[in-house]
This record gives sequence, structure tokens and C-alpha cells, in this order.
Amino acid sequence: MEILKCQGIRKVYGTGTNQVTALDGIDLSVAKGEFVAIVGSSGSGKSTLLHILGSVDKPTAGKAIIDGTDLSGLNQTQAAIFRRRKVGLVYQFYNLIPTLTVRKNILMPLALDKKKPNQEYFEKVVHTLGISDRLDALPNQLSGGQQQRVAIARSLIYRPALLLADEPTGNLDQKNSREIMDMLKLSNRSLEQTILLITHDEKVALEAERIITIQDGRIISDDRREVKTLS
Amino acid sequence: MWKEYSSDYRKNNPASSLSVRISAFISALLLSLLCGLFYNMWKYEVERIALEDGAWQSRLVGEIDNEALESIRNFATIKDAVINEKKSQDEETITDLYFYDYRDVLKDTPRIAELAGIPAEKTLYHHQLLAMYLIRDPQDTAPRLLFPLFILITLMASFSLVVIIHNSFAVSMNARIHQFGIFSSIGATPKQIRACLLQEAASLCALPLVTGNLLGIAGAVGLMLLTNVLLGSDIPGRHEAAPGYHPLVFLVTLLLTLATIWISAWLPARKLSRLTPLEAIRNTGELQLKRRKKSPVLSLLFGVEGELAGNALRAQRKALRTASLSLVFSFMAFTAMQCFFSLSGISTRETYFEKYQDAWDIYITLKDVQVENFPETENVRTLAGVRSAIAYQKASAKRLITEAELSEEMKSFGGFSQAPGHYVTPADGCWLVNAPLMILDDNSFSAYCEQLGIVPRLDGAVIINQIRDVTNPDFRHPVYSPYLKKDNTGEAPVSILRQSGSEELTAEVPVLAYTEQLPALREEYATLNYYELVHFLPASLWKEIKGQLGNAENEAYICVLGTENASLEELNDLQSRIGTLISPTYTVESENRIQEYETNNTQIQGMKVGFGGFCVLLAVIGIGNVFSNTLGFVRQRKREFARYMSVGLTPASLRKMFCIEALVLAGRPILVTLPLSAIGVGLMLKMSYVAPAEFLAEAPLVPIALFMLAILACVALGYSLAWRNMRKINLAEVLRDDTMM
Repeated sequence: MEILKCQGIRKVYGTGTNQVTALDGIDLSVAKGEFVAIVGSSGSGKSTLLHILGSVDKPTAGKAIIDGTDLSGLNQTQAAIFRRRKVGLVYQFYNLIPTLTVRKNILMPLALDKKKPNQEYFEKVVHTLGISDRLDALPNQLSGGQQQRVAIARSLIYRPALLLADEPTGNLDQKNSREIMDMLKLSNRSLEQTILLITHDEKVALEAERIITIQDGRIISDDRREVKTLS
Repeated sequence: MWKEYSSDYRKNNPASSLSVRISAFISALLLSLLCGLFYNMWKYEVERIALEDGAWQSRLVGEIDNEALESIRNFATIKDAVINEKKSQDEETITDLYFYDYRDVLKDTPRIAELAGIPAEKTLYHHQLLAMYLIRDPQDTAPRLLFPLFILITLMASFSLVVIIHNSFAVSMNARIHQFGIFSSIGATPKQIRACLLQEAASLCALPLVTGNLLGIAGAVGLMLLTNVLLGSDIPGRHEAAPGYHPLVFLVTLLLTLATIWISAWLPARKLSRLTPLEAIRNTGELQLKRRKKSPVLSLLFGVEGELAGNALRAQRKALRTASLSLVFSFMAFTAMQCFFSLSGISTRETYFEKYQDAWDIYITLKDVQVENFPETENVRTLAGVRSAIAYQKASAKRLITEAELSEEMKSFGGFSQAPGHYVTPADGCWLVNAPLMILDDNSFSAYCEQLGIVPRLDGAVIINQIRDVTNPDFRHPVYSPYLKKDNTGEAPVSILRQSGSEELTAEVPVLAYTEQLPALREEYATLNYYELVHFLPASLWKEIKGQLGNAENEAYICVLGTENASLEELNDLQSRIGTLISPTYTVESENRIQEYETNNTQIQGMKVGFGGFCVLLAVIGIGNVFSNTLGFVRQRKREFARYMSVGLTPASLRKMFCIEALVLAGRPILVTLPLSAIGVGLMLKMSYVAPAEFLAEAPLVPIALFMLAILACVALGYSLAWRNMRKINLAEVLRDDTMM
């Protein structure tokens, strides 16, 4: 089942001589439950693509459809609600609200919708991510790896159609990077979560079952591969 | 969740919250004070109208029998109907109608008139009073500007406050752009972000709003009481104000304050909520320059630190806009006020108090009195402590002047060639000029003649034979010349006075003297119309000629001079004794020179305190903004400072940067104000013909310097607190954090 479809996505910044084409005709399809890594050098356009798929930015041309919703037609409010319900965003620098506890940070997308959490699912997520004993702590009382787990938990709490991770291990040491990747794979397998991971680290990309390489705003390769199962 | 988020923010950022609270408090205080004062002014005006013209709302003119009167009284909307005995004496019977509800006046008066058999054209409305309740009769074409003026001033005040205080909200909100970016990235809608910010603003402002409103009410009532103390019974025609308040005014003030604060909070909230998550999340809160700027003066004066400080100030320009505007306006307003009052003080003292120092001590205005029929002057004169008492009355007349009569000096500056047509009318080779008549009681006139060295006579006039050099506009140091040529024909000179408006009616009066000497009265002559030819006459002569001339004013005056160097107590005692003597028979108003001088001083002090308070409030807004900004430096500028330190800037250099910034911020109001004030004062000096040296001797340098130092000290304190916080930053930690975004 196709969960993401991009057709001829183009993104141009600036005007006239200052014009920069960040994405130049991206066609992409991702099926439900896939774990896709997008790799590319700095400035290749991978983060722009993630921003468009996360509805935080709009393409200059082309279509991006996620779970049946065409992102190009959304206004600011609709885009916000879409982000809340359909995608989970994980950033390199966690982006947690420093004044809210871990529990509040995780439950925020539900709170924005005035929804009560499914306690069982909440427990499962925090237990799986290994942060069940830090729920009442503030973000600055956690290590980098723990903060990233909280960010992942927050992105999963609404059971989004697509989890978008932008260099999630970029700010972590090797041990924590390994753990975060394991968490993402676990959520991909156990929760059938579709994941689109952006990285410039080839080792991290090799954890995904499909690797798409972007260069100068274009997809230059799309490789499917067998990956090791979690131990 | 939002509530918890906001309360955590408030707890962790007291400085930012404090600035918002101060802004809300000051807005509420000023608006409440303004509305409270307007309400009391309105109330005073209603009371004044009721005292002067009565509190009736409409009138029926015409005969009304008792039965009809009773029917009117039984009319459902009528509170009372009263025959106005006083007004009815001269004219037809007048019945004053009082309604329960003012809104019924225009609707029911014609019906009541019909009931009483009075034709519609014989109904009158108290338009002035009704307009105070916003009830306008289409027949009333007079402009009633009180309410529109109140509304305009209030709206302007509200708008000005929005302009000034919205930045405090912006500073507090913009500090969290990054956090709101995170909210937005996980699905918070612009509306939710806006609602969060506005709720936060509401909870921050609730208490200051109520406190400010209550203090504003207290301030308004206090100011009215103060006005009573200052002006109470000293201003003729003024009644004592009864301060009050109305729940409706409170409601309107509350709504206006809410609207002002809400708009101030809504403007930045709207802007912030409209940012895309990308824009917001990338915002580090760090100060940025949009394009390269130079600070040549600061670079030249302070070197590299000066340039860095200049750039930092430019980058903070928006955040410091409230501070800059408030401080500049407050200092400018304070300086202007001090200079204006000093100048006005010099002017009033010279042109009024010093000029009339030896002319009067007690001044009595007698209502509806003709000086020739007023016998009490002698009794006043014989009271203990009275040096002299002159009773007089003013009347107007005209006189023809021929070319031959004009003095050579008068001719030398053009004769009547420069005289405006409404002051001097050419007529058959002559000019018709105003001849104000000063009618002195006989004894005073005789004394005046003796003063002039002529034989006292009661059948002639003394002419003030002087005219101001019309080519010299310096009113403070006028140059006088003889108006008319001295009569050398040997014949007894006469002056033919003509009735104003009916110049064919004349009265010929012998001229006893042409002189430049004036009797000591509290009067100014030929101030607007330089071509007036003032005549002093004895009351006996006026009695004979008033039939031909008429046009005497309804009021007469007694100008009393007490003993030399009399104290206020002595003058008060004398004033009271004169009142006891005259007031049982006559309607009088009385003034006391020393009391008036003191009242004038107190009024000026009161105005200075009121206006100075306003300047201080304005400065407090600015200082509040400086503090909220400087206390946010750790968050906003730690990376900037860490970078400076990483390339070798010493703490001493950073401190120097802070000092330069504080100096520029506090110095700007001074640099802007001083030249403007110098120009303004120069113009005022020129217009008022006060010598610069005279002003400089009394220039308000001390209060201006104190205000300036207070601003400087507060800004310095804000920066020193910021410096204390900045010293604690860990260079390594901050530089690591620099890679975050």
C-alpha cells in the first residue's frame, strides 16, 4: 500500500540571479511499513525534501501526497493539523520544549488535539524506547540519547502515517547512535511504522531496507536491500 | 498543557513578565486616570450648567393654569414641573420641566406643550445640558465638541499606548520563537499558538490591569480634590468640584484598557503565529544585522568595542524601540515642560505680579453696579489698612481724530497708515478711533488730577496721550510716543466723544490734561488695538453724558491698595472686612494679590507635578523595556559574546561594550532633546521678548540634569545587572551550543 507519493517535486529558492534549485523533479513512492534512508551530501536537497514531506515547507511545483492528502493544497492551519496527525518529525537537535516534562513533551501532539492518550500504547512506546523511568524529568536532565528517544516517542504517539527523521543520530555518540537506530528499526518492525530517514552517514543509511541517493536536487539512485533483523 | 507551559515560562523569565506587567499597569493607570478625569470634567460641566442656567431640560413659555400644571406633573415621564418665578417676572410665564429620563425630553416635550395648550414654537430646550447626555436636538446647530473631544483624546491615548507597549509583548513572545516553531512542527495551529500567547498575556496582565484601573480612579478623584484645594474659591465663577465616579465609566475604562492591552498583545502574537515552523525553528533568538552597517562615531571614540556596540544596538533596534521612544519622549516632554514653566513664570511675574505690585492688593468686582451710584467707596477708603481705594467702571466710545491733531512722532511712524480697518475707520479726512472711557469715582479722579499737577475739576477728562510704536512688536519693552499734538492755540481744548455704533450721538467734554501718567489700576490699555485714545472721567461727568454715550459695562471695580508690604494675613483680613461691608448689598467677587500669586505658584507646581508624573510614567515604560531587554541578554547574546571571547576579546572589553551601549541608549534622549530644546527655547524667547540672560539665570538646569541622571542611572543599572549575568556564561558550553541550529 502506497503511503507516500511524490510527483515532479521542484523547489526553487530566491529569484533572478540568486535563484537556487534545491529540488529538481523528485518522483518517489514509499509503501506502508518501509524503512527508507535518503542520503546525499550537504546541500543536495535532502532536508528540503523532508521539510516538504513534513508540510513545513511547500514545493514550487509538483505534488506530494501522504496517506491520501495532497500537501500542496494545505493552508497553514491544515498543514499544522496534518503534521500533528499524519507525520512525526524527529530532528537532529531533539527540539523538545525545555520547560515541559518528558511526559508532557511526548503527549503534546495529543494535547493539541485535546485527545486523551491510549495509556497502553503510551506505556508500550516509552517502555520500548527505554524512557519509562524518566517521564517526570525535564529535557535538560536527560542525556542527548535520552532526549532523542523522547523526540522519537513524541513523533510516534499519534501513530503517524510517516515518521520523518532528519539526521537523528547526528548529535549522538556511537553507542547512542546505535541505540537510536535500533529503536527506529524496532518501531518499524513492531509498529509497522513507515520511516523516512535522512542522513549523510552511510553506516546509518545501511540500516534501512531502501536507500535513495540525492544529488543536486535529483534522485540518482534508489536501491532496495536486505537488512539484518534486530538481535 | 498551554497553561503549564506559560506558567513555567513566567516562572523562569520574571524579567520579561515584569516588563509586560509594568506596561499593562501603566496603560491601565493612564487610561483609567484619563477616563476618570474626563468623567469628573463632564460632571463638573453638568453641575456648572445647572448652577448657571438651571437643571431644567425643557421649558414652556406661556400662561399655564394650576390644573394644566398638575396634569403636566402627572405625566408619566415628568419628574417635576415648576413655574420659574425669576424668569417669569420680565417675560411671559415660564415653566421648567424636569424629566426622569433625559431621553424622553425631545419626544415628550411637544406632547406636554400640546396638553398645556402651548404652541410648539414656545417650547425651549436646554440644549447645552442635553448635549452633555448626548441628546441632540436637530434644531440645535451649535457645535458641542466636549464628547467628540473626549473620545478623540482617549482614542489617541489608547493608540499611543499600543504603539509604545506592544513591543514589551513582542520581546516576551519573540524570546520563544524557537519553542513555538517546535510546537508548530508537531502540529500546533497558528490559532492555537495565538491563543496560547494571548491567554498568557491575559494572565500576566489581569492583576496589573485591575490595580492600574483602581489606582487610576483614585488618581482622578485625588486630582479633582487637589484642584479644589488649589483653585477652590480663588477663581471667580468657579464652583467647587465634587469628585465622583460611575460604574459605567469603570466598565468603559475596563473595556478600553482591555482592548488596548489586547491589541498590543495581539499584534506580535499574530506575527509570531504566522511564522512557518521552519522560520520559527531556525530562529535562535540571536540578534542579527540585516545588512552591514557602520558606526563611525562610536568606532572613532571607542575603537573596536564601539563598532561592536554600535552593531549590537542596531541589531536590537526593534527590541529597543519602546525604550528609545519612551525615553526620548519623556525627557523631551520633561525638558519642554520645565523650560515652558520657567519662561512662563518669568513672563507672568514681569507682566503681572511685578507690574501691578504697587497698583492693587485687593480687587473687587461689583456686579450690576454703576459707579456713579456706588456710595461705598468712601467707607472702603476709611477702613483700617487701606492706603487707597479707587472705584471705577469702563465704557466704550469713539472719537474722531484729524491729521492736524496727530503728533509729529505719530506721523513719523506712518500715522494711521498701518491701522487695521476694524480698529480705525477713515471718515472725511479724519479717523474714527476707539476711545475707552475709564470712569473714576469723583474723589479718585480729583486725586488723579492732583497727581498730574492740575487743578482738580469734575467736569472734564484726562486723555492718555501716548501710542505704542506700532513698528516695534516687542510688547515687553514697548516704546511710547505722544499720540496727539499738545493744543497750543490757547483755547480750552475739548474732546468730542461719540457713541459706539451711533456716532452721530456726541458728548463734548473739556480736556483737563493730556498726559502719559496713568492712575494705579490693574488695567492694561491699548494692548490689541494700539490706536485707542483712553479717556479718564469723573463719575459726576459720566452721569451727565452717559445718556448720549451709553455702552458702560455692567460691572464696576474697586482697586484697593493696602498698607505697604502688607502680609497675606493682613490682606486676607482686609478682604474679609471689605466683603462684610459690601457683600450684603452687592454681588461681589474679590481677589487678593498675594493670595493670587501664591495660588498661581501652587497651580504651576500642581501642573508641574501632574505633567512631570506623566513624564516619569513614560520613562518607566522605557526603563522597563531596557530591563526586560538587558535581562534577556543571557539568552539572546551569549553566543555573540562567546564568539567575541573566543577570538580574544577580554572581559574588560566586553564590559566596555556594555558601557557604550548603555551610554548610547541613555544619551540618545539627551542628544535629541538638547538641540531641539535650545531651538524651542530660542523661539519662545524671541516670541516673548525675554532676554536670554534673564532666562539663563532661572533656567531649570537642576531638574533637567536630575531627570537626565535618573535615566542614565536606571539604564546603567539594567546593563550592570545584565553584565553580572553574562559573566557567568561558560564559553565552551555556549560555543558547543552554537552548532545547534
